[in-house]
Amino acid sequence: MYAKLVFRNARRSVKDYLVYIVTMTICVTLFYAFLSISSSYYNPDIGSEYDFTLLSDGMKAAICMITLLLIFLIRFVNHYMLRQKQKEFAIQSIMGMEQKTIGRIFFAETLIMGMISILIGIFFGVFCSQFITAMLLTAYGRPYEISWTLFPDTVLWTVVFFVISFLMVGMFNTRTIQKTKIITMLSAEKENEPKLGKSRWIFVMAIIFELFTVWALITGVIKALFFYDSRFPIPVQLMYFGNILFPAVTLGWSFLWLFQKKKWDAQKLLCGLLACSVFNTFAAVSVPALTNQYYLPLGNGMLRQYLLYALVDLLFFIGALIYLASSFIVIWKEKSPEHRYKEENLFFLGQITSKLNTTSKTMTLICITLVLAIFLFIAAPILSGWAFGYLGARSMYDVQVFSRYNNVYEEKNLPQDNYEIITDFFATHEIDTAYDCTFSLYLPKKADFHNRIKYDFPVVAISLSDYNVIRKMLGYEQISLGENEFITQWKTIATEEERNSFIAEHTSVVTDGGTLNISEQSYSDEAMGETLYNSYTDVLYVFPDKICEELLPVMRNRYIITTKKITYENARELERLFTAEYPEQAESGVAYGVRFSTLQTNSAIANNFILQTGMIYGAVVLMVICLTVLSLQQLLDAGRYKYRFSVLRKLGVEEQRIHKLILEQLSVWFGLPIIAAIMVAAVVIGYFIQTISAEISAYIGFTALMLQIGVTVGILGILLLCYFISTWVIFRRSVNS
Amino acid sequence: MNTILKLEHIQKYYGDGGNITKAIRDISFSVEAGEFLGIMGASGSGKTTLLNCISTIDTVSAGHIFLEGIDVTEIKPKSLARFRRGNLGFVFQDFNLLDTLTISENIALALTINHTPAGSVEPRVLEMAEKLNISDILNKYPYQVSGGQKQRCACARAIINNPKLLLADEPTGALDSHSSQMLLSTIQSINAQLRATILMVTHDAFTASYASRILFLKDGEIFMELRKGNDSRNAFFDKILNVLTIIGGGQSHVC
Repeated sequence: MYAKLVFRNARRSVKDYLVYIVTMTICVTLFYAFLSISSSYYNPDIGSEYDFTLLSDGMKAAICMITLLLIFLIRFVNHYMLRQKQKEFAIQSIMGMEQKTIGRIFFAETLIMGMISILIGIFFGVFCSQFITAMLLTAYGRPYEISWTLFPDTVLWTVVFFVISFLMVGMFNTRTIQKTKIITMLSAEKENEPKLGKSRWIFVMAIIFELFTVWALITGVIKALFFYDSRFPIPVQLMYFGNILFPAVTLGWSFLWLFQKKKWDAQKLLCGLLACSVFNTFAAVSVPALTNQYYLPLGNGMLRQYLLYALVDLLFFIGALIYLASSFIVIWKEKSPEHRYKEENLFFLGQITSKLNTTSKTMTLICITLVLAIFLFIAAPILSGWAFGYLGARSMYDVQVFSRYNNVYEEKNLPQDNYEIITDFFATHEIDTAYDCTFSLYLPKKADFHNRIKYDFPVVAISLSDYNVIRKMLGYEQISLGENEFITQWKTIATEEERNSFIAEHTSVVTDGGTLNISEQSYSDEAMGETLYNSYTDVLYVFPDKICEELLPVMRNRYIITTKKITYENARELERLFTAEYPEQAESGVAYGVRFSTLQTNSAIANNFILQTGMIYGAVVLMVICLTVLSLQQLLDAGRYKYRFSVLRKLGVEEQRIHKLILEQLSVWFGLPIIAAIMVAAVVIGYFIQTISAEISAYIGFTALMLQIGVTVGILGILLLCYFISTWVIFRRSVNS
Repeated sequence: MNTILKLEHIQKYYGDGGNITKAIRDISFSVEAGEFLGIMGASGSGKTTLLNCISTIDTVSAGHIFLEGIDVTEIKPKSLARFRRGNLGFVFQDFNLLDTLTISENIALALTINHTPAGSVEPRVLEMAEKLNISDILNKYPYQVSGGQKQRCACARAIINNPKLLLADEPTGALDSHSSQMLLSTIQSINAQLRATILMVTHDAFTASYASRILFLKDGEIFMELRKGNDSRNAFFDKILNVLTIIGGGQSHVC
């Protein structure tokens, strides 16, 4: 009998469950699509030089972590359904059905709806996974082919994950139904706004903010005492003073408020703190920014500490802004009767302030989550572009052997080898080389051999002939030098200012073989790999061969380009043999290293792909959660709104005006957290881009970056529009019904 | 005395085909300016349907309703809202106040919807609050005041636009006897001092005794009309009770 009731209910109330089914389907689709590439049946054609297993485990872990967030959403949607159906439950219990049974029926209904969602979700997931495959194949530089396959293990994973979450949430719901009193259920729809009082959570946030401000002030004072120098440029001086002044003003304001507590209300305190948090953020953010620019001697720990301050300031800013938003509206309302008493404005402002008062905590959480989502969306392409660009700069040769002398203290221990092990391996495995160059890097002055201070590491030199062989390998033009001349070779990451100032200071170099002058063509900045330079330096001297013969060779490298790509297995094997003979830290103190473009590319692509898909998946999940919660928050109250709009109707307001009011209300509801989030995200992203601007211009390019950001913003806009329109349609329908 | 409201052979049917319910069979009456008319009847007698038709919330199946000469059954649906806010005031059993607004804002809303200039909103609200004795609760929210105060606020909202007709649907339905008494005195004073025309629907004899004329409905028709004339309220109340006894079914119905 009950089974019949469950099925009949489910069939009849598909419309009621629409929100539930849609949300669940989105969750299942995302989950399935992203998880499908970690399936053991998934075997895209990415070429023999790549190994795919590296990717799947990392991917699985990343997706499962992020998916835990979805449980929160499932719980929220269930809560919404529970509220919707409370009146029905009340009638059933009045008729004599036990609450336990009602709970079970509801559980069975949601489970049926959940199963339907899983089916639809997997169907859509198969489509969506095509996008991910396309992304993957592009990452490995392969043409894209469609393959429609259902992966049994992914299906199993998806079903198991969602059924377990349904069971968990379902049990929770059954308990809630059992515990709710009939009278509460019966009056659920009529129930008014709980109370127009505000919750006190913001004051907890304010106390945390104050504590951090005290810490920031102490740090600021200590930093100024130890590191301040009056010769610093003005921005740096401002930074030092700002980081003392603004925290001090923040605390001062709080003390002033404590003394005036009887006269001033808490909102005044919060307004002041809100303004202070903005200044504090800028002061804190300026520390890492200026440290990068002016090479200030502040450690990484200190920079992280200031980023933490900035983060706390921003979080407080979001919280306080949303908490005070309704107060700002009230003040504005008080001050301008002409706006207050204009048509239905009174009603509209009342709607907004009452909703803001009761949900400021949720709004703040939504806003913070949105900031995170936007940041992930924008940072994902930046980070992956960076990694790929860097990969290009690192793996320019099929095999790169390099050595470091950082821990060698006697000249006789310096590396001299020609790394014949590679030649032998190539001979046995019939690998032909197109170019092969073994060369030394020299110290201009032998006296610098013992100079091991990190900030003053000597720049090494390469002989012109070796340099030209490498240039030929990479397809660059040959260069020539006059008698007693040298040029400089630069890393891609080095900035123009660095280069110019170095060249200006080093127009001539004193070496053990005589003094050399800089050639007319003073530098070359084509990418030539990272292992060509000495540790901690971005520049390499190129000296005539004759001079190099008289210098001390300190490092021995070998670069090879093969005619065919080395396979993944061969590369692994050679890597193993090489490291057995030339360990990363030999007894002589020399550090050897070998890099294969095959292995580098493989691990870089895999890691990069995990990073990128993980971030995008996370961002989409967070975004969906935020938008769903925002939209459900409005729909949850549709009953209450129906009553309010019916009062307006009775008072003689036209339907057209009511529709306009609904649109305005939803715009504010969606607009406020989104605008606040965009504001904060803009600061965070601006700061992020600024700190890695050197890497961006070296490896990605700003035009490409702007294009990526544009596409991301477009996608976000479409997602937002979809949610907004569907909420609007459902809202209008429920208010009009 | 001039006639404000005139109903001519109003009929209202629900349902279709062979299954028709006649909520109002044939009702005609008129209301003079400044009159306080009560409409009484048992549940299902058609009194709420009648009120809905007069207030243009529902349409009639046949007949005409004239408010100051304008046939409201002929007004286009688009113009109905404007007509309602310009000519009618409402008081409902469950107050219909907005809990997001203070008492004064609730009253002001009726003015602002009617495009009253911003400068004159506050003085008018204060003046009305003074008359209805709710000045000291103006800045409170509906959930902070008693039922009687809420209903007086609803009255203030209903009459602040000087409507031609004030429609009250069971105004004391949700109030205790003391609050009811106070509210009814208020409504009576609105009628007497502000010369407002009031049409009140109720099934409570005590409430109805405040009216100057009462129409009794039964099965969708006017069963009887009772005028207070020069009677005291007590005498009028007794008369009402007598009529109710007759409507409730005479001895013949008790077996």
